[in-house]
Amino acid sequence: MHKTIAVLGLAAALALGVSSVALAAGEKVSVITPYLAATATGEMIEAFKAKAAEYQWTVDVVDTAGDMGAFASRVEDATTSGANAIVLVSVDPAQIQDQVDKAKAASIPVVTIDGAKNAATALNVTSDNYVLGETMTKFLFEQLGGKGNIVRFFHSAHPGVHQREIALDDALKANAEIKQVGEHYVQVPGQIDDSRSAMDALLLANPGDGAINAVWAAWDEPGIGANLAIEAAGRKGIIIAGIDGNPQAIELIKGCTAYVGTVRQGFGEMANIAADQLNAILAGGPPEKDELFAPVELITRDSLGVTCN
Amino acid sequence: MTRTNLNRFGTLIAFVLLCVGFSIAAPQAFASPANVFNLVQQMATLAIVATAATLVMTISEFDLSVGFSASLAAVICFVLFGQGYDVWLAVPAALLAGLAGGAANGVLVARFGIPSFVATLALGTILSGFAFGLSGGQSLFQSVPDTFKALARGEVLGIPVLGFWIVGVLGVAAFVLTQTEFGRRLKAIGGNAQAARLAGLPIMRDVIVTFAIAGGLSALAGLLLAARLGSVQHTMGEPLLLPAYAAVFIGTTASPTGAPTVAGTLLGVAITGVMVNGMTIVGVEPFVQKIMTGGIILVAVLLRRVGRAK
Repeated sequence: MHKTIAVLGLAAALALGVSSVALAAGEKVSVITPYLAATATGEMIEAFKAKAAEYQWTVDVVDTAGDMGAFASRVEDATTSGANAIVLVSVDPAQIQDQVDKAKAASIPVVTIDGAKNAATALNVTSDNYVLGETMTKFLFEQLGGKGNIVRFFHSAHPGVHQREIALDDALKANAEIKQVGEHYVQVPGQIDDSRSAMDALLLANPGDGAINAVWAAWDEPGIGANLAIEAAGRKGIIIAGIDGNPQAIELIKGCTAYVGTVRQGFGEMANIAADQLNAILAGGPPEKDELFAPVELITRDSLGVTCN
Repeated sequence: MTRTNLNRFGTLIAFVLLCVGFSIAAPQAFASPANVFNLVQQMATLAIVATAATLVMTISEFDLSVGFSASLAAVICFVLFGQGYDVWLAVPAALLAGLAGGAANGVLVARFGIPSFVATLALGTILSGFAFGLSGGQSLFQSVPDTFKALARGEVLGIPVLGFWIVGVLGVAAFVLTQTEFGRRLKAIGGNAQAARLAGLPIMRDVIVTFAIAGGLSALAGLLLAARLGSVQHTMGEPLLLPAYAAVFIGTTASPTGAPTVAGTLLGVAITGVMVNGMTIVGVEPFVQKIMTGGIILVAVLLRRVGRAK
């Protein structure tokens, strides 16, 4: 009997709890991502929420922690619950085409940030990921003097990251004296720890001076993990470059560590553009274009005014 | 209602109360036919994987490779699509891979005596490596035939196609466990393997067959998930593992003996599915969702233990 009472009590408490959730006035916007644990994704969502507050929207944020099945389900939930708009962050909507099509059929505009263009979505706001990869790779290869050995940290499941990898592949073809001597597919979430462990192994596998000259990180968090491994091993002569302009990576650049450069994506800018465009869409108008790019910026010791001995 | 019935049906009543609570909180959305349709779709793959877990737990073993098997089957299928093969070859090939992986688990456990926790984790990790290698780590969503997508989309007579999969798979599993000699042997093995061996039951064969079925069901779940999404990632099945076992454990609270049952597992799947769906619809913060979902699983299992100890 006690068991029954306790279970019923728990259910009743939950029922009362959910009943008391008050829906604020204004448009209801569902923001859904499988990658909230990634700093950049979190930054975009926070920026979007801040902008949404200006527009007096009610924003629900859902994270499915890398679970694409749950991601599809939550998009369905948002459609069913009658959200005024759905914002998908850091994901290609083609991966859940059926759910996006249903949202469109329900006349719910879907906007992607850091995603990809799709016939069923109203707008994608992103950086040109190939340009990001190209900019970082060019800088890294210049730092190496056009010659050396690199290791690659990548995650091809993310469509934007994959574009950066393509930029690296193209650059390697054009620079025969730069060799890739190792690579690691980064696990998400847990990307920093995973990358540190992988770099530990790569350093052990390539112990000689000059065996590894640089780390190419498809985004900053793997680079941060690699930096931890390099510092722990006390290895010199290895440089790291990444992408995203992660604040921790910028601190590492300022601190004269192995981290020498990152390309800042305008994450806040992307979110602001998306919110402004969504505001126009909710007012009944079309977006400016179906895909808009936020500006990118190369951040190095030079650009930060840092001198290292 | 007697005290015994209250104890037995407490979990079911809790499920009903959850539905009532969400219906009050979001009457237009949660209780709508469209959301019920969604819920059935969302629960299907978990229900099938949880059924695989139920079968293995019936013989008092664990299969930690279910999510990996699901991923690998989906990847194999989509890679074959990419090479121009049609549904009639790709789907059986993927299911066979799941059956083979499951049978290998069974051999490791029954023939070589490796604890199932270790054997299935190790083999699952190997399967995940194959899935990663075959997919190249990329999301696959090209060249998917509409006939394949139809396996998990749309409706028949107003019922989602995935609902028929739930009824079919869980119905057969429940029938096998409760109405066949094979099912009774599995319960005997789970209840006391030593006694079952002394009674002359074909333990090794039954264990291997059970793991093979679990692998096949996991592969089927992976294929249905892929058909529903229209895309495949090499890790897509892995998040199914913990919710599947959570559903089985919740389901045992509805069982008079505390043993896993297919009906109990379905109830566990429904509770976890409704909680996540309902909390999303009413806008509960993500961290609260996780706390409440974990909390109810913990409470359910604790109550089961308290109940059994009495």
